[in-house]
Amino acid sequence: MKLTVAVSGINTVDNPGPGFGICRALRESGLEVRTIGLAYDALEPGIYLDHIIDKSYIMPYPSGSKEAFIERIRDIHEKENLDVIISALDAELPIYMDIEPVLAEMGIKMLIPTKEMFRLRDKLRLKELSEKIGVKAPEYISCTSLGDLHKATEKLGFPCMIKGPFYEAFKANSIGEAEGYFVKIAAAWGYPIIVQKFIEGDEYDVIGCGDGKGGDMGVFAIRKMTITKLGKVWNAVSIRNDKLVSAAKDVVKGLSWRGGFEFEVLVEDKTQDIYVLEINPRFPAWVYFPAGCGINLPERMVRMLTGQKYDTHSDYNSGKLMIRYVNELVKDISDFEQVSTFGESKEVKK
Amino acid sequence: MDIDKLTVLAVSESGFIFDPVTGHSYTANATGLKILELLKADKNEDEIKSAIMDEFDASDDEVTVDIQDFIENLKKYFLV
Repeated sequence: MKLTVAVSGINTVDNPGPGFGICRALRESGLEVRTIGLAYDALEPGIYLDHIIDKSYIMPYPSGSKEAFIERIRDIHEKENLDVIISALDAELPIYMDIEPVLAEMGIKMLIPTKEMFRLRDKLRLKELSEKIGVKAPEYISCTSLGDLHKATEKLGFPCMIKGPFYEAFKANSIGEAEGYFVKIAAAWGYPIIVQKFIEGDEYDVIGCGDGKGGDMGVFAIRKMTITKLGKVWNAVSIRNDKLVSAAKDVVKGLSWRGGFEFEVLVEDKTQDIYVLEINPRFPAWVYFPAGCGINLPERMVRMLTGQKYDTHSDYNSGKLMIRYVNELVKDISDFEQVSTFGESKEVKK
Repeated sequence: MDIDKLTVLAVSESGFIFDPVTGHSYTANATGLKILELLKADKNEDEIKSAIMDEFDASDDEVTVDIQDFIENLKKYFLV
């Protein structure tokens, strides 16, 4: 059975989207699959990576009209007969949550979080999330002014973490440093700025996929070895940490998580206690890493959605290394012309 | 001394040590590797000292300091 799967987040840039990794995982799976890229800009690199993504289409921005978004998918569906859409960007998840029933009527299946799950994973609701899943959260205070910052640092002490609403986090050792980071982050990402108690430890990530009924399709844990300035993992090593895996499974069970996720935690050096930092409500950009180690979560998700048997095991080796790298493609300006003028890439014969 | 964490370490002959639970890696010299091997075998400090002196050409004082340093490093990395 040949399946057609559309995937967003094919922006493999310095803040990479997960779409290319998802398509690569599907391409290397046991599925016979045609991959469709859903892009928001004619220069998203995934559009031009046609050895992995068969064809790409430009989408209207998710912040715009819901009707226009549905019509664009309907138009693509008429040409491609989509079986599944895998949404891989936080910003578009709310619109997909709204239109999922419409897509289901068209015969397009999705596995995405509910609105309640999406609300809970907001960085500013970490305490509420922590209580719900039974995993500690570092103490934090949300700030919208320098006055708030002073009060927060008086309460939490130094060092503390100054974190942006979306990206970037800095360790501040004094009020002078804290103010500097506060202003810098606010200028780049806006408010609120989160001041978080500093806990000495290492950051770990667990990727997984929930079936929406409390079950998971397997999980895979890593230690970040290097991260970018935006906090994105660049190199990582697979680990086998039962406590971490168990906490991730508890999250899936406790929230009846639906869809892909990335569970970001900090493990305190002294106590080995786990602190939840964030849950990203979709597959992360490093989704190919577990696939390359035998835990192909996009494949499992697609199999589940299309009524096929799928693996749920988490049997993988620790000590596997992920090395991310940059690369350049040489294409013709006519390729860009095609996408920017017609809103879709050329079909490449293979 | 709690040696549970030491027992899961993957130790290579080259001196490269990988902790599969935390993802951390370390390097140790030949003496360090031998001390680690003996600690994993639940030997006490006297037994370790004796074994190291048998294998390496070093004085009692040197070996005592080496063992204590090594154990301090293990503590620093929360491995014991």
